[in-house]
Amino acid sequence: MEYYSYVNIFETKGLAYILLICFLVLGILLIKYLSAPEKKDSSAAERKPRT
Amino acid sequence: MNNAAVFTGELRSFLKFFLQELKPRGKWLTPFNVISIPTIILGLIILYFRFTEGLGSVTNLSQQFPFGFWIGFDVMTGVALAGGAYVICFVVYVMRLEKYHCIVKVTVLNGLLAYVFYSGALVLDLGRPWHIINPIIGNSFGYNSVLFLVSWHFLLYMIVLFVEFSPTIAEWAHWEKLRKFLTGLTLGAVIIGITLSILHQSGVGAMFLMAKPKIHPLWYSEYIPLLYFVSSIFAGLSMIIFEGSISHKVFSNLIGEKTHHSHDEIVLGLAKAAAITMFVYYFFLAFIFMHGDKWKFINTPWGYWYLVEVIGFVLIPCFMFAYAVRNRRLGVIRVAAAMAIFGVVLNRQNICLIAFNWYAENRYYPSWQEIVVTLMVVFVEIWVFRWIVTRMSVFSKE
Repeated sequence: MEYYSYVNIFETKGLAYILLICFLVLGILLIKYLSAPEKKDSSAAERKPRT
Repeated sequence: MNNAAVFTGELRSFLKFFLQELKPRGKWLTPFNVISIPTIILGLIILYFRFTEGLGSVTNLSQQFPFGFWIGFDVMTGVALAGGAYVICFVVYVMRLEKYHCIVKVTVLNGLLAYVFYSGALVLDLGRPWHIINPIIGNSFGYNSVLFLVSWHFLLYMIVLFVEFSPTIAEWAHWEKLRKFLTGLTLGAVIIGITLSILHQSGVGAMFLMAKPKIHPLWYSEYIPLLYFVSSIFAGLSMIIFEGSISHKVFSNLIGEKTHHSHDEIVLGLAKAAAITMFVYYFFLAFIFMHGDKWKFINTPWGYWYLVEVIGFVLIPCFMFAYAVRNRRLGVIRVAAAMAIFGVVLNRQNICLIAFNWYAENRYYPSWQEIVVTLMVVFVEIWVFRWIVTRMSVFSKE
């Protein structure tokens, strides 16, 4: 009968690869977040004189 | 003979003009002057003792702690914070983003003064300061030493920054022909400057590669040069935002209307770049942490201190920049810039002083004289900056 032997993720540096993928995804999300049309300046809108 | 007479006459008229310009303008009794003048005087007195009695008379430096507050703050931090000059030159002259053209002169001036004063402060810190010229004149230096590269680069980069700023000086002195000639040199100087900066920003970090046993493993890594280079980008950008916001208020009468209006857009653009760079820097830190298997250090006082630096002054300002850009919150950007600057200062102090010889029983604490002299260097730099911007056309008049 065959047994599974699990590898240690710390020893294989598997965690480093997972981190790399996570940061790649987060980096794309950050750039998308920063590139989206800016929200209007709420404080500037408040300063507008009332007509 | 005739040419000599013309030159002498020209020199005389320039000296007369220069002496005229040296006269102070504006109010004397300002809060900044009240604080800075006594500090500068006290600093000069301390420097007198430093040069007559030696380093030991005014500093807490020792053979065990050869790098003190002067090196840690002035050279390591000052050079990183001056990184804005090469970043903005790259953005304007290489990427051709003309939006930032109006801040080139003031950023280059800041960079030039930072290098002159902060790397110049090395003279104070060397036991035998007259040896500072050795790497340049070829007397007893190692070709393969990182310090050899750094010292040559500092010198060359100061010359390059001076060339970049020289058209403004020529304009102020009414040397029109020379100004045209110097303007023609700008692009070449910028390209050399960017190359030099990338190399010596990382070179400053590379000096610590030889101190592996002395630096705490959380801060030591073979990628220190890369970390120093990347952190110098957002440190420079944060410094431009921080200084620019102060200059925008203090020297508002010297800034043109168009630049006044574009200030917010420039700050938002710089903050966006800072957010992305800080994210990349944080990724490098996390990756180095994982790759170096440094988990065992994290649940210790040194680990908590490391987390304060990395999360408190890298990750949080990064998110603050991103949030502020998205919501156009300039106040948040200024706070994030101040936090990012403090983070870089803390990082350099950690590597150079705090986590250096971390196992030693006797710790190094800077003496009050070291702090006063550092403040003196900063204040003198601000005085020279103020003198230049109130006389030369540094801020865009458009």
